[in-house]
Amino acid sequence: MRKKCIVTVLAMIFSLFVLTAGGVAGELDAFKGQRGTLKISGGTAHIPVMKEAAQRIMSAYPDIQISIAAGGSGVGIKQVGEGLVNIGNTGRKPTDDEIARYQLKLHQWALDGVGVVVSPKNRVKALTKAQVMDIFTGRINNWKGVGGENRKINLYTRDEASGTREVFWEKALDKQPISPSANVVVSNGAMKSAIAQDPYGIGYVSVGHIDRTVAPVALDGVIPTIKTVKEGKYKIVRGLYSNTKGEPTGLTRAFINYLYTPEGRKITEKEGFIPFP
Amino acid sequence: MKRTGEKLTIWYSWTCGLILSAAVFSILAYLVFKGAGTLNMKLIFGDASPLRAVFLQQRVFEGLFPAIVGTFILVALSIAFALPIGFATGIYLAEYADFRVKNAFNLIFDILAGIPSIVVGLFGFALAVFLHKHYSSSIQPCLLISSLALAFLVLPYIIRTTQIALEGLSPDTRLTALALGATKLQNLFYVLIPQSLSGMVSGLILAIGRCAEDTAVIMLTGVVVAAGVPKSALAPYEALPFYIYYISSQYTSPEELMNGYGAALILLLLCLFLFTLAFVIKKRLTYLAFYRP
Amino acid sequence: MSDWKERGAEKIFLLSTIISSSITLLILGFMAFMALPLLRGGLFYLLTEPWAPQQGLYGIYPMILGTAVISLLSLLFAFPLSLGCSFLISSIGPKSLSAAFRRMVQMMTGIPTVIYGFVGIFLLVPVIRELFQSGSGMCIFTASLMLGVLIAPTMILFFCDSFDRVPRSYIDAADSLGANRAQTLLYVIIPLARKGIFIGVLLAFGRAMGDTLVSLMIAGNSIATPGSLLDSVRTLTAHIALVIAADYESPEFRSIFACGLVLYLFIAVVILAVRRLAFRESGKRA
Repeated sequence: MRKKCIVTVLAMIFSLFVLTAGGVAGELDAFKGQRGTLKISGGTAHIPVMKEAAQRIMSAYPDIQISIAAGGSGVGIKQVGEGLVNIGNTGRKPTDDEIARYQLKLHQWALDGVGVVVSPKNRVKALTKAQVMDIFTGRINNWKGVGGENRKINLYTRDEASGTREVFWEKALDKQPISPSANVVVSNGAMKSAIAQDPYGIGYVSVGHIDRTVAPVALDGVIPTIKTVKEGKYKIVRGLYSNTKGEPTGLTRAFINYLYTPEGRKITEKEGFIPFP
Repeated sequence: MKRTGEKLTIWYSWTCGLILSAAVFSILAYLVFKGAGTLNMKLIFGDASPLRAVFLQQRVFEGLFPAIVGTFILVALSIAFALPIGFATGIYLAEYADFRVKNAFNLIFDILAGIPSIVVGLFGFALAVFLHKHYSSSIQPCLLISSLALAFLVLPYIIRTTQIALEGLSPDTRLTALALGATKLQNLFYVLIPQSLSGMVSGLILAIGRCAEDTAVIMLTGVVVAAGVPKSALAPYEALPFYIYYISSQYTSPEELMNGYGAALILLLLCLFLFTLAFVIKKRLTYLAFYRP
Repeated sequence: MSDWKERGAEKIFLLSTIISSSITLLILGFMAFMALPLLRGGLFYLLTEPWAPQQGLYGIYPMILGTAVISLLSLLFAFPLSLGCSFLISSIGPKSLSAAFRRMVQMMTGIPTVIYGFVGIFLLVPVIRELFQSGSGMCIFTASLMLGVLIAPTMILFFCDSFDRVPRSYIDAADSLGANRAQTLLYVIIPLARKGIFIGVLLAFGRAMGDTLVSLMIAGNSIATPGSLLDSVRTLTAHIALVIAADYESPEFRSIFACGLVLYLFIAVVILAVRRLAFRESGKRA
């Protein structure tokens, strides 16, 4: 009787191993026998996830080569539309015009937010939407106008190809023009390092990118974190899309599917986003 | 009054010298101070074993190796494109062209030398897009296009140094072989070129240095954030100067920033090494040419 | 038979020359071709309007101003510095020190531009920010400082070259009259090398205008027309690097070719001016 118990338990443990091992291998199995190059470009928020996924795939299957470029959502759409890359990442939903023009197929694999950030040294930690609009349009240009020190506010914004900027402009600024004297940085990472180094700077960045080096600013009482985005409390949300021209095939298809597997979703979570659906 | 003017000049020159030295010294010291600590195998090869990575048996992630290889291949390809054409052009201008033609071409090449590197990069990009649309859709910004664009960038260097080296030879040297019955071509290959080799080689090495350090051209013509060691010339690739630029504006952790310092130090040492090499070769070749033992 | 080889070789060399020179013209052609729709829409507006793509304004005026101000300011920083250093190297300094200093300056020309930008971001920008207690530190002033250090070595070497070209006879004459080093420098060498100095300044100006990385990394890249030295600004070169991402058919994309065209034409003018001056100088000598 005891022997049977032990055997059963061992069998269960063994099958657990087999099943999970099979599960893990199964996720990367889709790449078995694939070779060639996969080119990805576009949104800068996606890059950490892309890099991690690429690293795992390339480690397991050295015949596959994946290259990742940045550039912003605008570049992603352009390049995938022109056939220069296989996957174009965007941090905003492509417009109907773009979809029609380039025959794009959208694949959303994460939910993210866009949050206002300041340097951790700044004592301003919360702003109302009206204040945010005034600051970014240039109407308020000194920190003392919102309860901070008597220093000029240094605005940071993104370049025109940025999906992050598009979302922020639409949803947080209600499409009001951003002050032209704002410093322009070229990616989420660049925004983070600029704000981290400037005690009097303010900018906006993907919520998934927020870490200890920058301080999130509460908007109308809601702090932009992954939790509040998930719960729907924080309103400035956007999806992370990987777009292809037409239906994806082969290596491209395998990569996109990988993002939806449990392992892919774990990577998405690890980098600070909410896996979607 | 004049005395004070002179004293002032002396004092002024020394101050300027001091200021410049201080500026250079602080830049170098800052880099060495911040980056020296990160110079180890891990910086270059990440978690992969160095030996296996060099033989391309193991992929290197989070290391500088792909960028270093990318820069290396880029430079080799660019020089392969630029050297024959630049060389031949320099020879033509020095030996065959008459005065007015030479003047016209010199003007054109001076302009080429003065064009900002980003405009050359823009040209390379436009060329790639043009070819992509009208010839073959497999042509896109890649290693090949980048090296072509870089070749355009350094072509004037090679042309100019070849031309100056050849023109700098004394008339005696030029005429001796001809007087003995050699043809122009024989004179060129057996006498003139060996004599001006030092100038040409140092020009070549300066061109190599220029290719290695340039960022604007490659930014527009195919360098990417992560691509591993390039497997073909039509593939995207990584390069050291771009890595430094990318890290400086978008580092995601203090460790990455430290890597950036290390990369900057490596690039700096590489360029200084090339520069010293050019100088040494120039000296040695001049020595050999004149004091053939 | 060897005549055929001779002529063949000459033809090959000529062909290479034609290929090389056609590249220069091709670049101009591509820039003009791609910018054409924008140019046709109104050259005047292109050059004088601000950049606001969302309002349909594609003028490159702020960028032209940015380039002009940063280049001129960096020249303002670098020129006195270079002049003083070249004095030191060619006349005032003792022989061994001058040689060592010249070596150092030659080494400086080998330092990659991206290094200057890199060090500028982390070393210079915070200093300027704290010093002036306003702005983000990424502004015209900082970029010009760094750019000045970048172009100084080339200017110094060029000046030294011009000083060295002054005929030995003049210097000997001054020596025989009992002039010391400073006097020889001030009253003999500089007046004779005036043209050379001017040419050096022009060339450095061209170099400063064409630099991309320093202004991309340090000047802030805002699209506003600058109002003060501590304002963030965008240069023509940085604009090209930033907007390369846009849609190929859009006016935004074409504007970067307009920038390229402006840069190209301006450099051509500088080169022509330099040649004119150089010819007149050598003409006088002969």
